[in-house]
Amino acid sequence: MQLGDRVRLGLAVGVAKTVTAIVKSLRLGAASVLPGEISRRLHPRLLPLLFTQVSKGVILIVGTNGKTTTSLLLRTILEDQGYRVTHNASGANLINGLITALLANTNLTGKLTADYAILEVDENILPLVLKDCQPQYIVGLNLFRDQLDRYGEVDTISQRWQKAIHPLPKDTVIVLNADDPTLSYLGQQLEQKVVYFGLNEPQLYLEAIPHAVDSIYCPACGHLLDYQGVYLSHLGDYSCPSCGFSKSKTAVNSQEWSQILIGVYNKYNTLAAGLLAQEIGIDTNSIFETIKNFKAAFGRAEELDVEGKHVRILLSKNPVGMNETIRAVNDIKKAQKSSVTLLVLNDRIPDGTDVSWIWDVDTEELVKLGGTLVVSGDRVYDMALRLDYSKSEQDNHVELIVKEDLQDAIATALECSPQDETLHILPTYSAMLEVREILVGRKIL
Amino acid sequence: MELIIGWLYPNLMSTYGDRGNVICLQRRCQWRNIDVSIVSLDRAAGVESFDDVDIIVGGGAQDRQQEIVMRDLKGIKAEALRTKLESGTPGVFTCGSPQLLGHYYEPALGQRIEGLGLLDLVSKHPGVEAQRCIGNVVFEITASPLAEELQTMLGEKPIVIGFENHGGRTYLGKVSSLGKVIKGYGNNGEDKTEGAFYRNAIATYAHGPLLPKNPFLADWLIQKALQKKYQTDITLTKLQDELALAARKSMLQRLEFNDFKTKV
Repeated sequence: MQLGDRVRLGLAVGVAKTVTAIVKSLRLGAASVLPGEISRRLHPRLLPLLFTQVSKGVILIVGTNGKTTTSLLLRTILEDQGYRVTHNASGANLINGLITALLANTNLTGKLTADYAILEVDENILPLVLKDCQPQYIVGLNLFRDQLDRYGEVDTISQRWQKAIHPLPKDTVIVLNADDPTLSYLGQQLEQKVVYFGLNEPQLYLEAIPHAVDSIYCPACGHLLDYQGVYLSHLGDYSCPSCGFSKSKTAVNSQEWSQILIGVYNKYNTLAAGLLAQEIGIDTNSIFETIKNFKAAFGRAEELDVEGKHVRILLSKNPVGMNETIRAVNDIKKAQKSSVTLLVLNDRIPDGTDVSWIWDVDTEELVKLGGTLVVSGDRVYDMALRLDYSKSEQDNHVELIVKEDLQDAIATALECSPQDETLHILPTYSAMLEVREILVGRKIL
Repeated sequence: MELIIGWLYPNLMSTYGDRGNVICLQRRCQWRNIDVSIVSLDRAAGVESFDDVDIIVGGGAQDRQQEIVMRDLKGIKAEALRTKLESGTPGVFTCGSPQLLGHYYEPALGQRIEGLGLLDLVSKHPGVEAQRCIGNVVFEITASPLAEELQTMLGEKPIVIGFENHGGRTYLGKVSSLGKVIKGYGNNGEDKTEGAFYRNAIATYAHGPLLPKNPFLADWLIQKALQKKYQTDITLTKLQDELALAARKSMLQRLEFNDFKTKV
C-alpha cells in the first residue's frame, strides 16, 4: 500500500472510530452502518483496500436464507483454531456494513488485524462488491423468493452472479449448494475451483413440492425438472429429462455430519460452513467438535429462559424460511413438547413492506396440529386472517388470540405455555429484534 | 350447489401470494356449504378443462414464467378462455395477469410480448431506469354495473385495499377502468385509473392478495358464478368478516395518518 493510501485509510479509520464512539455514547444504536458510510466518502476505494489487508482471506457468504447462522458457525470454527475473525453485524450486509465490519479491526495506521473476514453479503449487491474486490472464498447457500418489493426475480440474480464471478482469479474457492438447481448450474458454468455440499438423505424428502417454490425449471433449457425428492422448497435431488442437466456431485457425505440447532435448513448451514472450513484446511474432527458445542445466533433458533418458561425464537421472514420453521415447530408439537406459538408480522423496510408472502406459506400445516396461536405485529390482522383461512372444517381445536400490543402478546403467550413445554416465537426480522428486546430487556442493534 | 374454480397456471403465475385468492374463494364457498373444487388450468390441462369452469383466477408471473405461459396459452386455449369470459364467466386477474389479457406488453428490454387481446389495453415498461410502482394502493370501484351491485351488497362505496408492485404501465383503450385511485399509482401513475372491468372479469394490479382483504369481491364472484350456472337469483348468507374488517381499518388509518403527515 502506498503511503498516501495509508494516510487516507488511517484518516478514514479515525473518523469511523469517532463516529462509532459518538453513536454508541448517545445510545443511537450499534453503529453497524454509519461509520462505513462516512469513511467511504473519505476514501472511495476503501473496500478493495481493506480486502487486501485481511491476512489469510476474505469469505463472502451469499444466499437468501441462512447467512447469519452459517457465518456464525464458520466464525466459531475459525476462532476455535485460534484465528482472529471479523464479521459484519447481522442485517448490515450492504457495502457500508461490510466497510464498518472491516474498519472495526483496523488501527489508526491503517493496518487491519484480522486473519479472516467473514462477510454476509446481500444477494443483490454481490456484483457490486466483486466489481473491485477480490475475496478468496465465496459461499452460495440458496436462492429463494424474498422481498420482491426490493428486488427483481430469482433467475436474473443468478445470471448477475455468474457475470460477476467470472473475472475472479481461477484459484478462488466457490462453495455452492448442489441441491439448488440454480446454484448447481451456476457452478457448472464457472472456471474457478467449485466444491458442492448437499444432502443425500432420502428419508428427509417432503411428501410434495411446496407451493412457495421458484425454481423447478431447468436453468439450462427451461424444461420442467424431474425431482426424485425434495428436502425443502426447490432443494432436492433432480435431473432434467430434456437436456441432461443434473445435480452436481457433492464433496461431503451429509450422513456423516451431525447438525447444529434444529431443522433441515440448519443441516445445509452446517454443511456449508463445514465444507468451507475443510477447504481452508481445518481438520474434520475439529470442525465436528465446534458443531457439537455450537450456540445459536440471536433469533435463529435461539433459546432463552424467561420467567421460568423455555422459549425458542425462529426468525421467519419469507415463505421458504417460514415453511421450514413451521416444520421444525410441528416436529416438537407432535412430541407433545410445545402447544403455544406466537407469530409476529411486521412490514418495515428490513421485513419488506409487502406482506402478501404469508399466503405462500403453508400455515395450514401449523393450524392442523391445533394448540394456541397468538398473533401480533404491525400487520397483526393480516396474519390472523391468513391463519383463519388456514382452518379446515376439522381444525376447530386451534385457539387464535389476537394482540395488537407486542408486550401484551408475549405476556399472554408465556402465560399460556405450560411449564414443561417450549414456547415458539416466529417473528419477521424487525419483529425479532423487538421480541428479543422485550425478552432480554435490552437493545441488541 | 357446487362451483368449479379454474386456476390459471398455479406454479407459473403465483408471485405475490396470489393463491390467497383461490383459498379465499374456496373457503367462502365451504363456509356456506357450497361444494367447491379447484381445477389447474396449466400446461398439463387440455383445452376441454376450460369448459366446466365457473370462476377463473389468474395471478402474477415472473418474466420468464410469463413467456412459458404465453407459449402454452396461444391458440385453442386462448380461444377457450376468450369464449368463457365473453359469455360472462366471472374472473379475477391480479398482478401481472391483466398485462397478459391486453393487446401487448413492451418490457424494458427485449421484444414486445403479444397478449391475448381480450381487454382493450396496452402495457409498456418505461425503461430499466424508471422506478417501479410499489406500495399500498387504495381505490374506489367505479366500473358499472359492478360498482352499483357492490354498493347494494355493502351499503357503502366499494373501496379496495391492496399492494401494487409493477414496472409496466397500463393504458386503457375502450375498456372501462375498474376503479379510481385514492392512494397509490394505479394503472400508470398518471390518469388515476386502476385496473379494468369487462363482462364479469376483474383485472387489477392490486395483490395483497386481493380477495381476503376485500371479501365483497370474492362474494360478488361467487354470486355471479352461481347465478350464471343455476340461472336463478341467489343471495349469499353473510359471513363473519371481523378480521378482514380489522385489517382494512388498520391499513386505512395508517394511510390517512401518512396523508396527515405530508400535509403538515
